[in-house]
Amino acid sequence: MKETWYDELQPWIIPSILLIGWQVIASSGVVSETLFPSPLSVIVSAWELTISGELFNHIMASLGRAGLGMIIGGAIGFIFGILNGLSNKAYRYTDTTIQMIRNVPHLALLPLVIVWFGIGESSKVFLVVLGVLFPIYVNTFHGIRNVNPGLVEMGKMYKLKGWKLFKNILLPGALPSIFVGIRYALGVMWLTLIIAETIPTQVGIGYLATNAREFMQTDIIILSIIIYALLGKLADLTARFGEKRLLKWNESYR
Amino acid sequence: MYFKINEVDKLASEVITENDDVKQLSPHAVQIDLLHASKSFGKNKVLKEIQLSIEKGQFIAVIGKSGSGKSTLLRIIAGLDKLSEGELLYNHSPLDESTVNITMMYQDSRLLPWKKVIDNVSLGLEGKEAEKAERVLEAVGLIDFKDEWPSTLSGGQQQRVALARALIHEPSLLLLDEPLSALDAFTRLEMQNLIETIWSNLGFTTLLVTHDVREAVRLADRIILIEDGNIGLDITIANPRPRQLSDPKLALLEEEILQRIMNGEMKSVSEKSVSL
Repeated sequence: MKETWYDELQPWIIPSILLIGWQVIASSGVVSETLFPSPLSVIVSAWELTISGELFNHIMASLGRAGLGMIIGGAIGFIFGILNGLSNKAYRYTDTTIQMIRNVPHLALLPLVIVWFGIGESSKVFLVVLGVLFPIYVNTFHGIRNVNPGLVEMGKMYKLKGWKLFKNILLPGALPSIFVGIRYALGVMWLTLIIAETIPTQVGIGYLATNAREFMQTDIIILSIIIYALLGKLADLTARFGEKRLLKWNESYR
Repeated sequence: MYFKINEVDKLASEVITENDDVKQLSPHAVQIDLLHASKSFGKNKVLKEIQLSIEKGQFIAVIGKSGSGKSTLLRIIAGLDKLSEGELLYNHSPLDESTVNITMMYQDSRLLPWKKVIDNVSLGLEGKEAEKAERVLEAVGLIDFKDEWPSTLSGGQQQRVALARALIHEPSLLLLDEPLSALDAFTRLEMQNLIETIWSNLGFTTLLVTHDVREAVRLADRIILIEDGNIGLDITIANPRPRQLSDPKLALLEEEILQRIMNGEMKSVSEKSVSL
């Protein structure tokens, strides 16, 4: 079925109504502009921060922390997931330990992390690492373990061993599950970053929000929240794009 | 135990007629010998002292009810399981993967869904070897589908790709584990013809496990019935190929074998009801 312009418009109708309603209520003066800034004032402050280049710096700082944490945590989770998925011995040695650490809510470690790493960059990145590690570990592990054993047997029949077996059968078989892990981890990544950026800092979206609170700039607080939401959406879209490309053999991703 | 075997044997020898075609024999074709071969899973003895010799280039069908041990026999010959006792010889010696090439077709095609058809066929091969994939796909009539995902193919087409994948390795031994049982009747007939033609041209040794007696009678040089871990029946069919299923002698043979299998079952059922 071909989508008409009206079909594409449908999802945006309710958000638009809400936004217009909000603007009307704010400008009518029924509620205090300081507590509930109008959409327009949010847009204006967004514009000002963009012009000054400040917003870009903050976004890049946050993206950098999120990205670095994701790469380090993702790599650790991926490596242990693969290792424990393939080797029962590695699984018996490490899985219980990993599961014990996983059950500690990583955000509860915040005070301890500040004591260990100070209030610099490393404490924020560390929290993100801790947050994204486990979803990727668990899903990679299950992905490898749940590869159709019939396919593995077939591969062995055709003399695939070691790296070839991994590259041709195990990894592609685990990939859908790994992507579930990545998308889940991306959610955790932003959540962790928001909390981590309440640790005093000079730059980042979290700084923007905390700083605005000091001066009761509610429009900037709301702007920060919207940016977090947009970045989260962007990360999810990127993951989906990767999924579509790498899993196009799978009907459910076509 | 061997009741009625004489009748079946007699019938089989009637079916045997002069066959003038000299069948091509693959230079790689392998002879297989099982000597006092037993396999147990725990206390459960699945194969009991099997003695079986399969000649080079022979098309042998193994039939039997579920749980009779026929699949275990196939897995052992495939090298996927090890014998508990006895010996398994390929060309009079233990398995040497450099000279004996075993490939297999399963009940499900076991194609890798993340590889295009042609890459499924050339799985594990590189360079010159992999280039043969197109020719093999042509042989099974699927060259037009070489760049498709396996999931877009019908069940019969998927099994053809699996057959191509088995053939590209120039097998000494092709193992067929009920590869046609999930196909519809027409596709099954088509596939039987295809397998027979390719086997006649290439002359590798073939072992087909099936519960379809008609399929066995239609394709095999020799039929082995596995019952309770023993060889209950071993008959040779030398009818000329391609065989017509309408051939009354073949139909009779099929009927006899079926009777033979089912009688065993009815007997055990009635024994049980008596003991109740």
